[in-house]
Amino acid sequence: MSIDGIVGFLFIALSVASLYLLVAVGLSIVFGSLKYVNMAHGVLYLAGAYIGLLIASSNQYGGLLGEAGQVGLGWGFIPALVLTPVVIFVLGIVMERFIAKPFYERDLLDQLLVTFGILIAAQELVAIVFGRTGTIYPRPEWLTGAISLPVIGTPPGMSAASTIRVLVVVLTLLLILAIFAFFKYSDYGLAVRAGTEDSEMAQMLGIRVGRPFLLIFAVGAAYAGLAGVLGGSLFNVTSGIGMEIIIPSLVIVIMGGVGSLRGTVIGALLAGLFFATATELVPSMTRASIYLLAIVVLTLRPNGIYPSTEIGQ
Amino acid sequence: MSMDTIRNSFDGDSSVLSWETWNRIKHTERFVVLSSVLFVLLFSYAFGRAPVVSDVFQGYHGLAMTILIWSIFALGFNLLLGQTGLLSFGHAMFFGTASYAAALFAIHVYNEPLVVVLVGMLAAVALGVVSALLLLRLHTVYFSIVALAIAQFLYFLAREPLVEITKGINGLDIPRVPLLGIVDLNHEYSGLVGTLLVNNLYIFIGIFFVAVVALITRIRKSPYGLIFKSIRENETRTAFMGLDVWRYKFAAFLLSAAIVGLAGGLMAVNTQFAGVERLYWSVSGDIVVMTVLGGLGTLAGPVIGTFVFFYFKGIVNGFPTLGNYWLLLLSLSFTAVVWAYPDGIWGMLTDFTAALRDPKELLTKTRQRIADLVPNGGDR
Repeated sequence: MSIDGIVGFLFIALSVASLYLLVAVGLSIVFGSLKYVNMAHGVLYLAGAYIGLLIASSNQYGGLLGEAGQVGLGWGFIPALVLTPVVIFVLGIVMERFIAKPFYERDLLDQLLVTFGILIAAQELVAIVFGRTGTIYPRPEWLTGAISLPVIGTPPGMSAASTIRVLVVVLTLLLILAIFAFFKYSDYGLAVRAGTEDSEMAQMLGIRVGRPFLLIFAVGAAYAGLAGVLGGSLFNVTSGIGMEIIIPSLVIVIMGGVGSLRGTVIGALLAGLFFATATELVPSMTRASIYLLAIVVLTLRPNGIYPSTEIGQ
Repeated sequence: MSMDTIRNSFDGDSSVLSWETWNRIKHTERFVVLSSVLFVLLFSYAFGRAPVVSDVFQGYHGLAMTILIWSIFALGFNLLLGQTGLLSFGHAMFFGTASYAAALFAIHVYNEPLVVVLVGMLAAVALGVVSALLLLRLHTVYFSIVALAIAQFLYFLAREPLVEITKGINGLDIPRVPLLGIVDLNHEYSGLVGTLLVNNLYIFIGIFFVAVVALITRIRKSPYGLIFKSIRENETRTAFMGLDVWRYKFAAFLLSAAIVGLAGGLMAVNTQFAGVERLYWSVSGDIVVMTVLGGLGTLAGPVIGTFVFFYFKGIVNGFPTLGNYWLLLLSLSFTAVVWAYPDGIWGMLTDFTAALRDPKELLTKTRQRIADLVPNGGDR
């Protein structure tokens, strides 16, 4: 394989891993610290993709919007990338207060069932409003083709890495570093860690864990919303994408070890690598690959790669 | 039936005796099996052809058969979730695998409905043995999600890499042959049998339905089934009693796989088709919705849930305007049930009839509730 081939391969692997990771990070934190399993996290990805679409372009949709003609603001890709996470952040706050909070004390299986019901209902609502056919993100000129920097042009060896994939990988890298730093250095991160360790004890020491938990929930939501915009422009957007992304993401969280952010990162990287390898060698196995990986990993290590209970490690 | 007894209870002191008799009878195995026979005999007629009743339901015979098969599926799933407390989000793997095994056996080896159904069942059990080795080491949500992962793996495996065998999204067609070489499944009866049961295929499915109900009732009433329940309530305590929890979970898992496999095989015979969509996560999701909506851990619950689900999917779907919203309505009611009323529809019904037995108390409770509501609205 030439250097171009290797770089192209790596960026396919990393971009797929990044998308999964952006969704899985929120899941992993909430699962690890709040002991809340949230299938409705897929709603955030779904909403992110559609809200981004409405901001970025103006399209003709099917469904209830079929009569309305062209719907959307049409501001372009960058505003969508910036504004969508903000909207989804607010949606995340609403979700935490009205859906997640009443269920913190309840059985894990009840949480799974309720959030599953909400995800299906949300997907169906989107299908009714926007129609069942897929939509594609408009790609601005500078996002297509190989990356091209202002002064040096295309860096050597990077001609096989498409700009959108580079953007996805770089953004994810920055955001993941931000979340690690948040846990390690900020007071809120410390409060979340304390609350994860022993929520009652932390509260008795006068730490209000409710707010930090809400914040971290909403940040996870915003990441998933951003993933919706990025994933929407890498693949196509249909009403079923919420479930399509949440299954591999949940699998990655469990494969990495619940409560371990490091495990989730490793799990996502492995999944991306497996995906890209399968695309290269056995194209028909591409979509089955991540599940095969999970089955193998969990057979060898039933508690995941990092069987840790401490968040932010 | 219960309406009559309710009316009797107003007559006086003798009613106490009749309630006790009824309570005793309704929990006997014989009564359960007999009512399942009665249900099979009357279901298709009431759903599709009876005067007045069928006008309300607007059902048809084909859907009645589908509902019976999916009821078997739901009963098998409920054995694992309702009895043993293991929520599998990947039960489509048994349904789809059994369907494929049945179709492949019929096409390549020997086509005979009974044998084909049994082959489907065995395939599901074999898959159950393999997947249990991984799954039973995991708990609660981990179990659910990894079951889903296995089912999705099989789905994508059947869809692309194994396309030579499974024919991918086109699926496999199975020609219909007579049962045991003599009984034509398509044969339509006339007279009373024709009115009630229509054809041999319905009888074929109905017999399996009754057999599954009988088997599950037997398990529920046996000490063995009680161990399943104690695992659901508290796994650690069950282990402290000296019972090998893993072994009982394994047994429940395999029993569930076998019953679901039976449904998968029957589905292949009924539709003369086996396709990849029976392995998809939405099948696993549907069966969860049906079982939980109807009522977990009961016998009637899963059957009622299946009926409600297919009523929405098959009938409400065809309504003008409202038809567009069938899945939304269904998923919202599922969410509401889990949120507020985990006992499901059957739980609501039994609670309601239990309340009806003591009309005076129900009246005072309702008055109390209304009284609670009114001043609150005014004061705050």
